[in-house]
Amino acid sequence: MPPIVQSLLLVTAQVIVLLAVSPFLVGLIRKVKARFQCRQGAGVFQPYADLAKLFHKQPVLSTTTSWIFTATPYILFASTLSAGLLVPTLSSQAPLNFAGNIIALVYLLALGTFFLILAGLDAGSAFGGMGGSREAIVASLTEPTMILSVFTIALTAGSTNLSTIVHKTALLEGIVTDPSPHLMALAALFIVTLAETGRVPVDNPATHLELTMIHEAMVLEYSGRYLALVEWAAGLKLAVFLSLIANVFAPWGIATTLTPAALAIGLVAYAVKIAGLAVSIGVLECMFAKLRLFRVTDLLGVAFILALLGLLFFYILRS
Amino acid sequence: MAETKSCDTELKTAFPSIVQRDTTQREFSHFFVAKDLLPTIARHLHTQPGLHGRLALLWAVDNRPARNTYELHYLFTLEPSHRWVLLSTELAKDDRVFPSITPHIHAAQWYEREIRDMFGLIPQGHPDLRRLVRHEHWPQGAHPLKKDFPWDRALGRQQGEHRFHRIEGEGVFEVPVGPIHAGIIEPGHFRFSVAGEPIMQLELHHFWTHRGVEKLFEQQPLAAAVPLAERVSGDTTFGHSLAYCQAVESLRHLDVPRRGRYLRSLFLELERLHNHLGDVGAICNDTAYALPHAHCSRMKEQIMQLNDRLTGSRFLRGLNRVGGVALDLTAAQLAEIAAEIDRMEQDFSELESIIAHNASLIDRLEATGVLTERTAWDHAVVGVVGRASGLDQDLRRDRPFAAYDELSVKVVHYRYGDVRARMRVRMDEIHESMRLIREIRLRIPQGPVAVESSPRAQAGEWALSAVEGWRGEILYMVMAGDNETIQRCKVRDPSFVNWPAIQWAVIGNIIPDFPLINKSFNLSYAGNDL
Repeated sequence: MPPIVQSLLLVTAQVIVLLAVSPFLVGLIRKVKARFQCRQGAGVFQPYADLAKLFHKQPVLSTTTSWIFTATPYILFASTLSAGLLVPTLSSQAPLNFAGNIIALVYLLALGTFFLILAGLDAGSAFGGMGGSREAIVASLTEPTMILSVFTIALTAGSTNLSTIVHKTALLEGIVTDPSPHLMALAALFIVTLAETGRVPVDNPATHLELTMIHEAMVLEYSGRYLALVEWAAGLKLAVFLSLIANVFAPWGIATTLTPAALAIGLVAYAVKIAGLAVSIGVLECMFAKLRLFRVTDLLGVAFILALLGLLFFYILRS
Repeated sequence: MAETKSCDTELKTAFPSIVQRDTTQREFSHFFVAKDLLPTIARHLHTQPGLHGRLALLWAVDNRPARNTYELHYLFTLEPSHRWVLLSTELAKDDRVFPSITPHIHAAQWYEREIRDMFGLIPQGHPDLRRLVRHEHWPQGAHPLKKDFPWDRALGRQQGEHRFHRIEGEGVFEVPVGPIHAGIIEPGHFRFSVAGEPIMQLELHHFWTHRGVEKLFEQQPLAAAVPLAERVSGDTTFGHSLAYCQAVESLRHLDVPRRGRYLRSLFLELERLHNHLGDVGAICNDTAYALPHAHCSRMKEQIMQLNDRLTGSRFLRGLNRVGGVALDLTAAQLAEIAAEIDRMEQDFSELESIIAHNASLIDRLEATGVLTERTAWDHAVVGVVGRASGLDQDLRRDRPFAAYDELSVKVVHYRYGDVRARMRVRMDEIHESMRLIREIRLRIPQGPVAVESSPRAQAGEWALSAVEGWRGEILYMVMAGDNETIQRCKVRDPSFVNWPAIQWAVIGNIIPDFPLINKSFNLSYAGNDL
């Protein structure tokens, strides 16, 4: 198979996997929360139906909005999906691994956030601006933590390319005997995941109280297919983060060669890992109240320190 | 009684010109004063350490058809003795101005603006004469409670703009919220002035769906207005209908049989239970801690289904009637209630310990939305909110009605005044309600549940009635007209006095904490906006 065809196939496969899996993760978290609250809850496939419904609805646009408002859902969706193509899922070879590393991933996600904040301001409602300013605080605090925590693993593997990291870790090359730096980095990245994907204790995706919202406040004015894209992008972002955690920290079972058998095992392993992570997020959401807004910075500060300590430990343990 | 005498004598000595009137109601002194003296006497009642009068109700009556006057009545509750003192004055023909007591007694502010809107009387010296109930689009001269204003006339519209108090400065923004909200919430507008996230000022702009309840009362015969009272605030169906029925019973000099009184206490406690359960869950839910919300909603639903099984109405509608209650409960039904309550108390205690041990939740509730005792007192705040801010008041103990004279109600109060205190008052009251329900079951006497014979009420006579509903003190003043009609009915839900206090409880808090503070007050928009 010529390399170009193989690359195209990989990209297509990964796009399909990410698009298909992301609404399921959202549905799964909701289902777990519902069961913990003694409710039946909607089916795990409800988010797919919601997206289908939204795509068929006519969007309503405020007269005060500019092109930014209508362009943002596409930019957000495209940038999040591209970020997803940098992360290995079934196979340790991420489809776009030749094009960018972990830093590209962080800033592709930041691009979407940036436009989303602009769109929140663009609609001119009081809530959009409020959500935007809060999102900016959260995003600026999570960004360094996210990079630092993956750097701990990158140092072990000797590369910032995610595919290389995952590949080497999966083959147990260069793994250190003491896992504590990795555990610290994992804890830091998990907190970043909660913050970046707008989950409790940072944000509450289930609330109707506009004054308390972060992510939801920015997208309040969206409807129809624009809302569908924004929601789907939010699901994708969740999938990207969970894939990152699953495969960077626990790449067990991932396909290191592109044989059908390895890919099949990879698929099963991937599904089990991210479903497990989604369930753990759902459980966490049932155990904690949301933090006071200004305490969020404390939590993200803790995450940053954890990531930094992970890096320091790596050097201490190596010397 | 000796205390009563001494207080009356003291007032008469201090103000020789006032005239005491005889009243038929117990524990109640009525003084007639000249309008110019009113602010001085009101202030005396409010500030004298021995009197400590809380302004409980202020109402006006358009008495032009009979005597060509407007009457104004100021009801004070003297806090040490819980006794009522009523000051009344009359505005002579063509006099449309009365002296405002708001500069001395802050709690009068909304009442006086309401009277201005509803009757067109001007409270002279009131610091804020913007319209309150009558929004700016109501036409000039439309004062619905004047007797010559037809109840079924459609209001016109005029142009007008409500002016909010503005805070200006660099980085100060206004955040308008409502009157349309994202959840299933009644209409209310909140105007925040914020510098970043902290709230510098909150101004309420309510009264969006005026229904003309007090005017509608005047179109009803005395005995037939109970369904209207039940609909003043849907979540307090029984509290409102009870307060109304008590007022009419007092006008007709009816004595409700003991069993009827016990049943009234029982239903009132059931109403308190399902509302408090809902509130505890809702407060948790506003911090995104949904687990207690799910369980509280379940328990609330169980009580409401119990209501339905016992009475045919989840909201206890159609139970109260003038003279007693409309249905009796069998011993088996009382046992069913007790069994349900026993099961639920265990359930609730378990949930309570989960809530108490969740540090992340407690962190959100503590020191959030503090209403100080002083501010609460200045606003004459009542009910759960007052008890959470150190005001030890509960009509069930202080002015017993229904069967509470034979039941010993333990009143809890906290002095912290934060969201947590308001939640704890509710949790403690849930246990107390459950205990009361059990006690009622043990003590309820046999006998009829209502009296039939109804002597006619005298035209022009009026009666006051007070009920401690789940939210707080519900007051009704019913004045009889000719042939068993209602001349005037003043309704006061606790929400009307508690709403303004929320404006002070939020200052200095951050804007994302407002919904939580608001939920811990949980006031009625409908009960406020009659």
